[in-house]
Amino acid sequence: MSMNQPLTGCVMKGPKNITPDFAPIAASFLYQSQALGIQTSANENCAGDDALCFEFETPRTAPVICEITRWEDPSRQATVSENIMQAACGLMSVHGRTHRQPKPLGLNYISTLTAALALQGSIAASIGRLRGLPVSSSTVSMAAAGLLSMSQYIAGASASESPETAEAAETTETTRSLPGSSPTCPPFVSLDGVIFELETLDTGPWQKFWAELGVGSAAAGKGWRAFLLRYARAAAPLPDELPLAISKLTYHRISQICAKTGMAICPVRSIDDRAQDDDARQIWQQGPWSFSSFSSGPKPNGEYLRPAGALPEDLPLSGFTVIESCRRIQGPLAGHLLALLGATVIRIEPPGGDPLRGMPPMAEGCSARFQALNRLKTVREIDIKSAAGKTEIRELARHADVFLHNWAPGKAVLLNLDYGDLAAINPSLVYAYAGGWATDCAEHVSSNSMPGTDFMAQAYSGVAGKVAGGGSRRGGSLFTVLDVLGGVVAAQGITIALLNRCMNNAGAKVTSSLMSAATLLCAEDFRDIYSLPASGPKPSTSIINEIYATRQGRIAVECPDMDTVLRLAEVLDITAGIENKGFQRCLSEVFPLRTANEWVELFQHAGIPSAVVIEDLADLQTLTHLQSGLTPGSYTQVNSPWRFK
Amino acid sequence: MPITISIPTILRPLTGNQKRIEVDGSSVLDAIERMEQRYPGVKEKLITGDQAHRFVNIYVNDNDIRFSEGLSTRLTDGDLLTILPAVAGG
Repeated sequence: MSMNQPLTGCVMKGPKNITPDFAPIAASFLYQSQALGIQTSANENCAGDDALCFEFETPRTAPVICEITRWEDPSRQATVSENIMQAACGLMSVHGRTHRQPKPLGLNYISTLTAALALQGSIAASIGRLRGLPVSSSTVSMAAAGLLSMSQYIAGASASESPETAEAAETTETTRSLPGSSPTCPPFVSLDGVIFELETLDTGPWQKFWAELGVGSAAAGKGWRAFLLRYARAAAPLPDELPLAISKLTYHRISQICAKTGMAICPVRSIDDRAQDDDARQIWQQGPWSFSSFSSGPKPNGEYLRPAGALPEDLPLSGFTVIESCRRIQGPLAGHLLALLGATVIRIEPPGGDPLRGMPPMAEGCSARFQALNRLKTVREIDIKSAAGKTEIRELARHADVFLHNWAPGKAVLLNLDYGDLAAINPSLVYAYAGGWATDCAEHVSSNSMPGTDFMAQAYSGVAGKVAGGGSRRGGSLFTVLDVLGGVVAAQGITIALLNRCMNNAGAKVTSSLMSAATLLCAEDFRDIYSLPASGPKPSTSIINEIYATRQGRIAVECPDMDTVLRLAEVLDITAGIENKGFQRCLSEVFPLRTANEWVELFQHAGIPSAVVIEDLADLQTLTHLQSGLTPGSYTQVNSPWRFK
Repeated sequence: MPITISIPTILRPLTGNQKRIEVDGSSVLDAIERMEQRYPGVKEKLITGDQAHRFVNIYVNDNDIRFSEGLSTRLTDGDLLTILPAVAGG
């Protein structure tokens, strides 16, 4: 039975007037709230420039304050924007690895992430209150959200054994040996100008495909290494022979070869293309989650309302148990976030352990990237295909609050571990599926013939096309945009279902996906295409939004309005007006006179949004204003994005 | 001159914590068999039958053996055999 708008009856009150730098966050926050059935309204009590504040109230709990700040350090009030935070947290650097220079992502990414985490925090806090915890507020900062998105890359850059550098990620022996060559990477371009992604998780299709194109095995082999590692490194420097071979064939011919060899292919589509898909509008309307429950069968017995605990450090989900059977990034990140909210997460791995544990760079004998997403979990090695393994999983699910998986579509049914199977033995269970595409059914959907991986989902969903519009050449990002947001969305969905369980005494199934996360990320674009009224303030376009080279380092500067431009001109002692062609030239000439750090300090006093563009992620832990969000060690850990009071 | 095998961190508990070991071997399979004789248990972490495990990548001087003759790839003195655990996708 479909469960639309599971938080109907809840209320979210927010400020009437929202400062421009919080506008994208507010728009996404309100969109998500309304999709859940939460009634939104303005409240004078929520006014303020230092933070974006909401009050979240359920029919059974007093209001919880949901606070969104710019930085973790409350004394740091430097105005930020999406691009400033992307620069400050290293996201521009990671996304820019394929361009060999930092680049803005072209999406309100950190803003969307911040909104999702903030909403989840307020919902979790309400669960805590229902369970007897004296929690009255949840706080998330943009900076914390930005650092969370970089968790794996920060771990890789700070690992105690052979940490990764951005330069190492961008180059290979092949590209270094060709003078004047520039790194080549997906997406690819055909003879007739179609931009597209390729995907395979195995060497077989890759070998056959390039052999059909006449590429030698040595080049194909070097290409495979770069292609294989691109998810981890955000770079894929392929030998020149590969894109060159592609450029000689039409897209139609390449598609035929893909079909013959088992390689998946997807053109980079626009948001407009995606908006015309049959399922697109419904996904936009319902939000990035789909909820359902069983209308018949045994009812929960209410034991899940057991108290959270009596310790001051107890978190909203303390005492809850999550069983996680997930691989790679999206699913494990969801489990990690639930662990950060206090849940006990039991991770199921195959006998011998998850092979990702061995993937360099390493920290104390285990992959640093793996630990970034899994360090808080206990592990059970289970063969899920064996009868004994399935019995063990059913027994774990019997006593759990949440079961989360990201198995291939249809696999849960084959294993007799689908929602119906587990709800029959535990009616209060929240059963969660974090998929690639919009459905976990084995029924054929055109997108289901492709691996549900981040970069394929970026291409199909229109996200890659939107990144292209932001100036990133062919589009797309090798930063795992949708894996990270998808993990947050999956954790959100679970938290929402847990609150619904508390309010309505019902377990539920919650489905989310990389595709639905993409819809969330581009929600305002879809709203415009469907000509629907805005739910919040419309973010405006800044007058200046650039990166400049300085005497040492680069600086990101953003001037949202003419007043800020005039202050910038005054600080830089530029007399030419911005409409003058010489203005930008003046900026480029003046910035090299000081270091990026010196400029940022000057601009902070003048109220001009700016940030040093972080190019080496290992530098993050040296920055005073970000240190509270990081914990150094055998690799640098990103701390929980939530603070509860 | 023997073959040098670079051991990934995850397997070093099986090789006495050594990062690099030297063995003789005319092929990749031969070198793995000789490594197994000295350090029992390492072979099953790398291969099953005539194939490397899906998440184990083996390189001879930076060339992926899957793109040459697989485990039958010939070795010559002084070659460097690198083992890289890696998982595709995300």
